[in-house]
Amino acid sequence: MWDEVGQALSDSMTKMLSQAASLLPGIVALMTALLVSALLAWAVAAILRRSLAGFEFDRRVAQWGFPTLAEVSPSSSPTLLVTRAIACVIVLIGFLIGFSAFDGALPSQFVIRLFAYLPDVMAAIVVLIAGSIIARFMARSVLIGAVNMNLQYARLLSVGVKWLVTVLAVTIAIERLGIGGGIIRLAFGILFGGIVLALALAVGLGSKELVSRSLERETSKTSSQNAHEPVGHL
Amino acid sequence: MELDAIAPPELEQIERLGNADLVIGILDGEGQEQGGSAVETTREALTDLSEPLRAVVVSNNGTHSPSEENSQQPIVLSCSLPLAALGETPQQSISNAYRRVFAVGGKLGVRACGVIVSRPQTATRRWIYRLVQPVLDLGFDLVAPCYTRQKMEGLLNRSVLSPLHQALYGERLQNPMGPDFGLSGKLLQKILRQDLSRRGAEANALASIASSAASGGFQVCESHLGVRTQRPTDWSNLSSLLAEVLGAAFLEMEGRATQWQSVRGSKILPRFGAPETPPADSGTTAVDAHGDVHGMIESFQLGTRNLQDIWGLILPPTTLLELRRLSRLPEDRFRLPDNLWARVVYDFALGHRLRTISRDHLLRSITPLYLGWIASYTLEMQTAGLGEVDSRIERLAKAYEDNKSYLVSRWRWPDRFNP
Repeated sequence: MWDEVGQALSDSMTKMLSQAASLLPGIVALMTALLVSALLAWAVAAILRRSLAGFEFDRRVAQWGFPTLAEVSPSSSPTLLVTRAIACVIVLIGFLIGFSAFDGALPSQFVIRLFAYLPDVMAAIVVLIAGSIIARFMARSVLIGAVNMNLQYARLLSVGVKWLVTVLAVTIAIERLGIGGGIIRLAFGILFGGIVLALALAVGLGSKELVSRSLERETSKTSSQNAHEPVGHL
Repeated sequence: MELDAIAPPELEQIERLGNADLVIGILDGEGQEQGGSAVETTREALTDLSEPLRAVVVSNNGTHSPSEENSQQPIVLSCSLPLAALGETPQQSISNAYRRVFAVGGKLGVRACGVIVSRPQTATRRWIYRLVQPVLDLGFDLVAPCYTRQKMEGLLNRSVLSPLHQALYGERLQNPMGPDFGLSGKLLQKILRQDLSRRGAEANALASIASSAASGGFQVCESHLGVRTQRPTDWSNLSSLLAEVLGAAFLEMEGRATQWQSVRGSKILPRFGAPETPPADSGTTAVDAHGDVHGMIESFQLGTRNLQDIWGLILPPTTLLELRRLSRLPEDRFRLPDNLWARVVYDFALGHRLRTISRDHLLRSITPLYLGWIASYTLEMQTAGLGEVDSRIERLAKAYEDNKSYLVSRWRWPDRFNP
């Protein structure tokens, strides 16, 4: 009987060891992939950091209208933020490659689904970036235009337009990612309508007196200029 | 290319003529009918000149008149340019018409070219004579206009264009962007050559005439033309006007940076003709000015409150601080110092060159500052005579010259710390 117990234990041990041994190539492959990807990430980050520094990326980001990006960046440097983000993506890809080296259906399926999801993630990121740029550009246009029209609530209008575009971009991005479904559409409708209503109320009711005063002043100014023609620019 | 705009029969007529001594452009931003008077006026003006000349009159009223070719002396041909295209601003329309007049002049190899834009209905033989006579008889290459102005006229010229031209190119011109000019054939050919190589959507033919002459070592003078009738000011569109005019001036400045950086000081240019006495001020009473000034100061204050983020990308911190301090002053003490204004203009020119923000945003965001300058100028000049106005503008031009080292330094090293 003891022989049989010994045999069973030996078989179990052999089985466990052979299973562990069968995992070993996968573990080695994962570690190798991680190591290579880390090295690659380090090299790419170093080259990118140098290129972006030459391009004066930190200064240009502020000029392009993203001064807050510096605040959320490590060491207040958007260059560091971009290089670290790219390095992380490379390491992640390395990890996924290493992970798929394991035998078995689960890791492979996980990696395949993750890779299939990547285009949506990329599209969502592009939409968010484009939305942010357009929102800032439009907010600036509205702000300058409203100030030049002598509208006292210029900043409110500008912020309203910025949020309208931002909400639209975020909703498109979330929908692209397939998160939330109908709730997102509903929330978007409520938010968008809310912002538009708030702007309309601000302009139409809250600033009623200001608007009428502005318009009166504009009219009297224009008519007095036309009547006397005292000012010429060229 | 520019000649394509001329009707084929008239183009054939020009080609048949082969060459001419003079081309006169009678242009109107609104493309109004000038009637046949342009040809007659030109013929009369040419009889005052010392020698008989062959001339071509180009107008942009869009009507193709029959040939005026006859044996009458001096020979004057006329041809028409099409009306302004849809969507073209008056400035673009005039700029394009200018190019076409130059193209006709270049084709005919003229000795002189005169272009009148200011409400051609008021253009007399004296205007044509005063624009082309210094070129034909005295050998000048550019005759710039000198108008009789009220103290509240030509404000963009007074506040930016004229002092900027003086500081950059060292020539004191009342109206560096004309719009009425007399040019020699030599200068015309030079402008045609560079226009082909530097054409862009923002390029404006008017902005490049005086700077081409100044940087090319051409002989420049001014002629008194008298009172210039202008369209009523469109206040609702002021920012577009500023964007168009200053955009063209800044673009020209960028293109000639290597030339103006070495220019120091400025010289007075010869002026021909007698200055006219300006007509009585047409009702600009202190009360009117006061009412307008209040609105302008409010616009300036509104801009200072709301555009800090945008101005912060263009102007250095000390300038922003001074502007904020200015916005808190009571109306009667509201004065925009000349040095501050000159530096503001220089910083905007630099921002335009560096594309710090969208060029359109940059140029439009200067509007409240410009209104601030007008308010300050109006308050200061409320009771002043025309003589005092002239010396006031000379002081401003001096401030531009004094601050040129600041411009050159920032232009060369824009990233250097600037408090």
